[in-house]
Order: sequence, then structure tokens, then C-alpha cells
Amino acid sequence: MSLLEFARGPAIHWSLIILVAGTIWRLLGVLVLTRGADLSRPRDAFGNFKGYRTVFSRAWPSGEFTTATRYQTGMAYLFHLATLIVVVGIVPHIEFITGLTGASWPGLPNAAGVAFGIIALASLLALILRRIAKPAVYCSNWGDYFAWFVMAAPLVTGMMAFAHLGPRYETMLAIHLLSVALLFAWFPFGKLMHSFWFIFSRAQSGVAYAHKGVRI
Amino acid sequence: MSTTATTAPIFPSFEQVVQGFAGQIGQLREMAPKPTLSDAVRVRRAIDTLIAETNADEAVWLESCIRCGQCTTACHYFQATGETKYAPMRKMNLYRKVYQREIGPFRWWYQLVTREVKLKDLEELQELVYDSCSECGRCTMVCPMGIDTASLVHHQRSALVAAELVPPELAALRMEQKHAGTVFGASADSLRKMVDTIREKAGVIIPLDKERAEIMVLSSAVDLVGNGNGLLATARVMNHLGVDWTVCSDGFESANFGLLSGDMSLWKKQVDPIVAAAQRIGAKMLVIAECGHAYPALRWNPMLKSGELPFEMMYMSEYLGRQAKAGRLQLTPLKGKITYHDPCKTGRRGGAFEEPRAVLKAMDADFVEMPANKEYNWCCGGGAGIFLLERATRLREESFKIKMEQVNITGAETVVVSCASCRLNFEAGRVKNHWDRKVESLVELVAEHLIEDPRAVPINPAQGVRA
Ligand code: SF4
Ligand code: SF4
Repeated sequence: MSLLEFARGPAIHWSLIILVAGTIWRLLGVLVLTRGADLSRPRDAFGNFKGYRTVFSRAWPSGEFTTATRYQTGMAYLFHLATLIVVVGIVPHIEFITGLTGASWPGLPNAAGVAFGIIALASLLALILRRIAKPAVYCSNWGDYFAWFVMAAPLVTGMMAFAHLGPRYETMLAIHLLSVALLFAWFPFGKLMHSFWFIFSRAQSGVAYAHKGVRI
Repeated sequence: MSTTATTAPIFPSFEQVVQGFAGQIGQLREMAPKPTLSDAVRVRRAIDTLIAETNADEAVWLESCIRCGQCTTACHYFQATGETKYAPMRKMNLYRKVYQREIGPFRWWYQLVTREVKLKDLEELQELVYDSCSECGRCTMVCPMGIDTASLVHHQRSALVAAELVPPELAALRMEQKHAGTVFGASADSLRKMVDTIREKAGVIIPLDKERAEIMVLSSAVDLVGNGNGLLATARVMNHLGVDWTVCSDGFESANFGLLSGDMSLWKKQVDPIVAAAQRIGAKMLVIAECGHAYPALRWNPMLKSGELPFEMMYMSEYLGRQAKAGRLQLTPLKGKITYHDPCKTGRRGGAFEEPRAVLKAMDADFVEMPANKEYNWCCGGGAGIFLLERATRLREESFKIKMEQVNITGAETVVVSCASCRLNFEAGRVKNHWDRKVESLVELVAEHLIEDPRAVPINPAQGVRA
């Protein structure tokens, strides 16, 4: 079995299994815990329900914190959007997804794919540079750097494969696929899981504060 | 009616009250109980407490932090010192470790790769969850995950109660309240004496221990052993309103060192007699004195099914605001520019924003908001018992400078607070910094501005002020 066959076959398949099983395990392990009841009388009868707004409203920091947050928020949005576009927008990815699921859609022109890849990488770099430059503010642990690495690796290797840089195309593609497999396999264990937690976490706080008549 | 306006003051000024408290706080440190259990038992008890108090909410918050750093500068203790150890997300690290090892879905893995919690870790936690977190909730306002760090800190305070690691001042007051049922020696007796003093010296009647009353009003140790003006002002306002009210000598204390220290059983023990007294006298309303944390201790007590109680609970500022809105408070205009400080426990963590402002409006005040106000208000630095901790003096004083700056920007000569703890901290900070602003309590301000005989002056009913 060649490296590419291994990467395309067992590596991706097993990592996907770990991704799905691990994510379900971690989500269930937390969500099956009991919910503490707040027995006090809410400020107004339907107040608690309004708390769910926080899931959406917290998508952007309030004006009070603009100065402190604009760099982080701006770069984080650029990174998330550009990465999403690259993941589902470029032709090789669509072909790969079609192979797995049968679904297909039109892809972006190559130049656009490269542009979004560069934006994703540049914003990711901007984020890590700030993290390194302001250790007192970010209080990073090794998990933060590892999460950054497993996210950056597929972007770098993907761009290299796309642009036919580095080793032979097949080898480069295999490395890219392996880095994706690493990302999938790591996903359930580190902070990448925030892609699920944010909904629950925001909702809980929104409801807890709305109970007291406070909009957060 | 009151004659305070014309005679010499009966009670000390608030500046003197603060000085008096400073002496008392010094004594508390010597009275603090020493640990009695073995190290291993103390650690186990802390861990067990965290396990018992962790529900899905806490677990999700602990899982969610991405260390994006947004909360760091939102916290006054970091903002004031620039020291990374006070960053909010660090205040949940130990809790997360216990959670990951004991409860989390990958606990078998974390037990292999992480070191177990030692007493030393808990000793280090003390500074993070007592000295440098007033449980103000400001960091939650910016966190993209909406993590409620204040709640997580509170659970860790409970864990430190179990580990006999409450800071000395809070530990001494907790013991006093637990065993003697008093704080700073404020007992039913001192309440009676204070009621007598107020009647004899100010000619103001406080209907103590009425068998039945519509409204039950709480007092607090700060009023009884220091600031008699607080209770006097409350009485003048209640009498002015002409309502059927009383103070119960078996349930008058707002201060709850169960909540402040993190001792849930003491929290309940303090609340039960108040609720029982209110039910016994058939109260329709319980008015909580200007003691910020008493609001969450009673009104927002998650263990108390308040929807099923036959009475409502309101904070003093809330009650006054409702009266002002209904045009029942006849007040003379307030001179000069003023601003209002939202105590964390009644504001961001309590929701009583509009009512105190309505009172100031009823005094026709030239009111200016601070740049960060209401939900975004900066804590004064002394909340959640921190005012009492000598060790936290620097943190408190440095973070108070943020508050001074906020007030200075408004150009107001007076800042109104509605929480005895904030007021003690403001007053101490004012004296220390030779700050040229006045600090006022809302209820005392209202009492000073009452129009004692509304028929004597023409009233504009819509505003409740002299037309
Ligand atoms: S803002 Fe929230 S997610 Fe970000 S570091 Fe602070 S607690 Fe963690
Ligand atoms: S709750 Fe307040 S004091 Fe505590 S960490 Fe958050 S901002 Fe700081």
C-alpha cells in the first residue's frame, strides 16, 4: 500500500470514525449530567426564554469591548470564514466529499481557492502571533498551540499540494491527507470542540442572566 | 417627625464608620479558626464538594474555554495590575482539572496524564477565588463562549470552605454567624437598642416586631454596629410612605456570610428565619436593606422556591424606584451633577437597573451615566467580601482607581451607591486618594430629600418634586 493509498484509505476512515465517536462521547458525557435547577422566581414570566438570544447576539462583542476585542474578533472571523470556504469550495475537496457522500456542487475557480487559502493562513498566523506577543492576556497552554498546529498543517500542506510545491504531488497530497486525518482525530479531544460547546455555553448563561432580567 | 436636620448628628459620619470597621476587621484575623482536619481529608472534601456541585452547566462552561483572552482585560483585577495570574480564565483552571479527572467524559485519560490535586494547589487557589474575584460577572459580558466565570468561582469558594481554606476575616465572620447567629456582634439586642436610640434621639418610630405587617424590612450589621443613619433613613422613608411595616428581631440580618464564604448550609440557615418571619407576620413584601449580596442571597436564592412564597422580595433601591415611579415619594430636588454606581450583585447579577435611576429622576437630579454602566459597569473592587480582606488591599485599591476614573469622566460631584459594601469601599478609596467627590447611599439621600409634609408645598405629581 502506497503512502497515498494509506492516507486516502485507513487514515482518513479511522480518523473520521474517531471524530464522530469521540465527539458524540464527549458531548453526551457532558450533556447527560443533571441540570441544576434555579428555583427562584424569574423576573418576568417569559424572561428566561429571551436568554436564548445570547446564542446569536454573542456572535459579535458589544460596543463596550470594541477596542479590546477587534483584532481577535476580526481575525477569528476571517479565519473561520475563509477556512469554511476552502473546505467546501475548492474542486478537489468537492470531489473528495462526493466520493464519500455522493453530494456535489460547483467549485470555486483555482485563483479564488488560493486567495481564500492565503487569507485563512494569514489570519491564523495573525492569531498565533498575537497569542505569543501577549502571553499575559492569553494564558495559553500546550493545547492551544497544538490545536493551532493541527489546524495550520492541512492549510499549509493543502496549499503546497494545490500549487505543486515541495515533494512529488502524490507524496504532498498524502501528507496533506494525513494532516487532515490528524485534525479529525484530534478534534474531539481538544478545544476545537468549541464548535459545539459555544451553543450550549452561550445559551446557559443567557438563560441564567435573563432569569434575573439581565440581557447579556 | 425627624429633627435630624436641625440638631447635631446622632450617628457618626460614614467616614468614621469606615475607620471603625477597619479596627474591627483587624480583630477578625485573630479570631479566625485554625484548620482541624488532615491535609488529605481537606483535599478530598474540596474535591467532593466540586463533584457534588458540578452539573451540566458547570461542565459545559469548563469545557468551553478557548483561551481567546477576551475576558482578561474585562476584569478589573487584571486591568488594574496587569498581572496575568488575575486573568479570569485562570480562575477556573483548578476546577477544570478536578472536573476532567473526576467527572469529564475522558476522566480515565486525565487521571493518567495529570497530577492529582494537592493542598498546596488549593492554598494557591484561595487568592484567585477570594481576593481577586468579586464574582462580578463582567468577564461573562465579553466572553465569546459566554462562560460564567463568577459561578465557577463561587463553587470553588464552596470547595475551599470544605477544605478549611476560607481567608481569615471571612472565616471568622462565618463562624460567628454560624455559631452565634450574629455578625460583628449585631444581635436582636443591638437592634432593639438601635430602635430605642433612633426613637429617643431622632424622634423616629421603628415599628419593631409587629405581629402582622404588610412589609417586612431587613437591616444589616453595618447599620446596627456602625452606620445608624442607614436604619434611621430607612425608617424615615417607610414612615413617609405611610405603609404598614415592621422589622423583625428574629429575622433582620441582610448580611449572609454563608453566601460570601461559599458555605451553602450557612446560606440556607441564615435565610430560613427571615422567610419564616415574613410568613408569620403575613408580609406581602420583603424589602432587603442596602446590602448588595443579600439580594442574590434572598431574591435570587436558587434553593428557595420564591414563586411559591406569599410575599415578593425587593432590594431597597428597587422598592424605592417603584414608589418613585408611582409618585408616592415626594422629594425635593437634588443639587449638583450626580452619577450612579450599579453594585454588581444588584445590577449585572441582579437586574435592578431602572429603579434606582427612577429615584434619582424623582429628585430631578442632573444625572450622568458613567461610560461603562448597567450591564457593563466596573466593579468597585470590594465586592463579594473582598472589602474585608487585608491581603487584598492592593488589589482593591488599584482596581478602585478604574472606578474613580469612570466617575471623574462624568464630571459628577456625587456618586450614589446602593450597597453598604460598595459604599465602605468607595469611602475608604475616597479618603485614601483624597478624592474630591461625595459618596452617598441611595436610601439616605432619599431620606434627606423627603418633603415631610407634602401639603405644605405644591407638588408636581408626575415627577414627585416641587413644582
Ligand atoms: S473570554 Fe471566555 S473563552 Fe475566552 S479565554 Fe476568557 S473565559 Fe475563555
Ligand atoms: S467575575 Fe469579575 S472579578 Fe471575577 S474574574 Fe470575572 S471580571 Fe474578574
